[in-house]
Amino acid sequence: MDKNEKLNNIKKKKAEWEEKVLIPAAKRFGMEKRPTKFHTPLDIEGFDFERDVGFPGQYPFTAATYPVNLVPRIQKGAKPGGLKRASQYSGYGTAEDTRDYYKLMANLSWTGGPNLALDLPTQCGYDSDNEMVEGEVGKVGVAIDTLRDFEVIFEAFTGDQDLDKIATNITINASVGIMIAMYIALAEKRGIPMAQLKGTPQNDILKEFVSRGTYIYPPKPSMRLFRDCVVFFTENLPGINITSIGGYHIREGGATRVQELAYSMAIGIAYLQEGVNAGVDIDAFAPKFTFNAFGGSMEFFKEIAFQRAARRMWARILKERFGAKKKDSMRIRMPLSAHIGCGATTKQRALNNLTRSVVGAIAAVLSGGSPMAFPPYDEPMGLGWSLEARQLAEDATRIIMYETGMCDVIDPLAGSYYVESLTNEIEEAAWKELEKVEEMGGAVPAIETGYMQRESAKSAAERQARIERREDLIVGVNCFTEEYELDVTTSKIVEHPYSEEKRYEAEKRQKANLAEVKRTRNNREVTRLLKELEKAAKKEDVNLMPFFINLAKEYATLQEQCDVLRGVFGEWQLDTFV
Amino acid sequence: MEQQRKIKVLMAKPGLDGHDRGAKVLAFGLRDQGMEVIYTGRRQSAQQIVNSALQEDVDVVGLSCLSGAHLTFFPKVVDMLRENGADDMLVIGGGIIPDEHIPILKEKGVTEIFGPGTLLKDIGDFIRENVRKET
Repeated sequence: MDKNEKLNNIKKKKAEWEEKVLIPAAKRFGMEKRPTKFHTPLDIEGFDFERDVGFPGQYPFTAATYPVNLVPRIQKGAKPGGLKRASQYSGYGTAEDTRDYYKLMANLSWTGGPNLALDLPTQCGYDSDNEMVEGEVGKVGVAIDTLRDFEVIFEAFTGDQDLDKIATNITINASVGIMIAMYIALAEKRGIPMAQLKGTPQNDILKEFVSRGTYIYPPKPSMRLFRDCVVFFTENLPGINITSIGGYHIREGGATRVQELAYSMAIGIAYLQEGVNAGVDIDAFAPKFTFNAFGGSMEFFKEIAFQRAARRMWARILKERFGAKKKDSMRIRMPLSAHIGCGATTKQRALNNLTRSVVGAIAAVLSGGSPMAFPPYDEPMGLGWSLEARQLAEDATRIIMYETGMCDVIDPLAGSYYVESLTNEIEEAAWKELEKVEEMGGAVPAIETGYMQRESAKSAAERQARIERREDLIVGVNCFTEEYELDVTTSKIVEHPYSEEKRYEAEKRQKANLAEVKRTRNNREVTRLLKELEKAAKKEDVNLMPFFINLAKEYATLQEQCDVLRGVFGEWQLDTFV
Repeated sequence: MEQQRKIKVLMAKPGLDGHDRGAKVLAFGLRDQGMEVIYTGRRQSAQQIVNSALQEDVDVVGLSCLSGAHLTFFPKVVDMLRENGADDMLVIGGGIIPDEHIPILKEKGVTEIFGPGTLLKDIGDFIRENVRKET
């Protein structure tokens, strides 16, 4: 029998089986509308292993980004996934508060660089003494006004943890240049050349317009600032990644899986194009693109297929569209693989989120990544995760990693009729949506006209409608909520290192810090440099990075610089789109 | 037959918090329930929210905040509404609000706080039961 004959045979037998076996059984159990699915070779007709999957760490990277699944040797302070960091996303109150937090974590053997969370005024380009931001200083992250704040935070990182030895992550998007300039100025003061610095700024401004919202200027001038980073980082900062693209935020903001994939690819393409337009060789800068995470959900197999589709899609874009030759240009480098997404967690019976995150961690391993039980179960409870929840999340990851043997094999679902067909389906749908965005002129116009924002909001509303109709079920939220269900609660035993009292005092202390800086710096020089920045900003082809560095060294504030740019670039008109 | 005035709601995002999924979903959902909903967009000061509420003469002000700044913003909006004589506007809130903050906010005049997982139907019912009646 040849291949076609075999397939025809299966087709015939499948029809018979459906009619005589499946349908009657489904009817008997009242499942005729949604009989359990079963997949066969018919679902992946034309499947070509080398073209569609390939070996782990090889084009098109469907199987995995790297050839091995990293399981760190057990030693003191080892973190699952092999990442050693002073902390997860963290930053509290004033620079002093954050420095003290990192010192404390160092004692708990959390070493390596910080993953800095900044407060909203900093992310949106306002200083702590601005009346407008009262009540927000030092919340959701640390306040950074001037170089002084970096100096204080990084007192926790010296000696064998000095700036040339650690990697620092900063979640900043609208003011990347200014923040990196402060980091460069700090290093210079310590005698460390900028070429030795390591780290990753988030620098994914376009997704801020779609969700999350920490933009300042309109999309076009924002892209000019992105271009300045591509060019300057490629020439001067070989150890600093250019961007950490996040489809995660777009999904959490409401987009569907396919929309998220299409939009984040469109955004990635827009960033790559900036570098190409500026005359930088694709293989010189694309390897410095990273991803922080895609979105997730509880739909186990779909999330596995999604990760595989995303890796393949990005690789194809780099190779086929941008003509990249280096493997490193085509890889999606990302700390987190499949996961459930924070949006899947519930405040109701929150401990259930641990179970949910384990489902996500297993999906991660099966998708060709490292397991990570994420997020900690108390994510929806409030600000500041408890150390207990973090311990349980770490342990869940370790159990999968060290007890189950799951990490001994990579992409174990390769060749599965179901998962391969699902991978194709998701990728094809995303290409279709991406083409739509490209017909509009790409990510920037699709954001300027509000298309991505509107479509995401619509999807969010549709999801909520399905929850209300109980088509989408969430245990403890829209089902199993009867009064005889036990309302399980948990209590904190270990106190969080950042106390409530400190939190309330932070704003006042930070304002005092800033006033002191403004009193003691060379104000005339700051004014002169701000004028230079203004002149430079008006010329589209000038790279603003050197200006930010000079300003950082003179302790110019974040807002002083942002205000100059607001004057030149304008501010993004806040969207409503409902 | 006299046409009944639709319940008018202002959905607002005070402060710099950009997480607007909840606010937008609520705007869609309450509109589907026959209410008239105006959404302010992000980054509104308390003053801007109060101005919009007064100008539009809304029945309900919905405040959404996920950044931890609710203790600053929610009472500020309530106070400013009261100062401007809008005592009968229903002010409700939502977002990531720690349980222990709910009594504080209620004491300061926020009528109800709706946390994650609340169904739109329940919020709609609450509004219909508690909104100011025709005068």
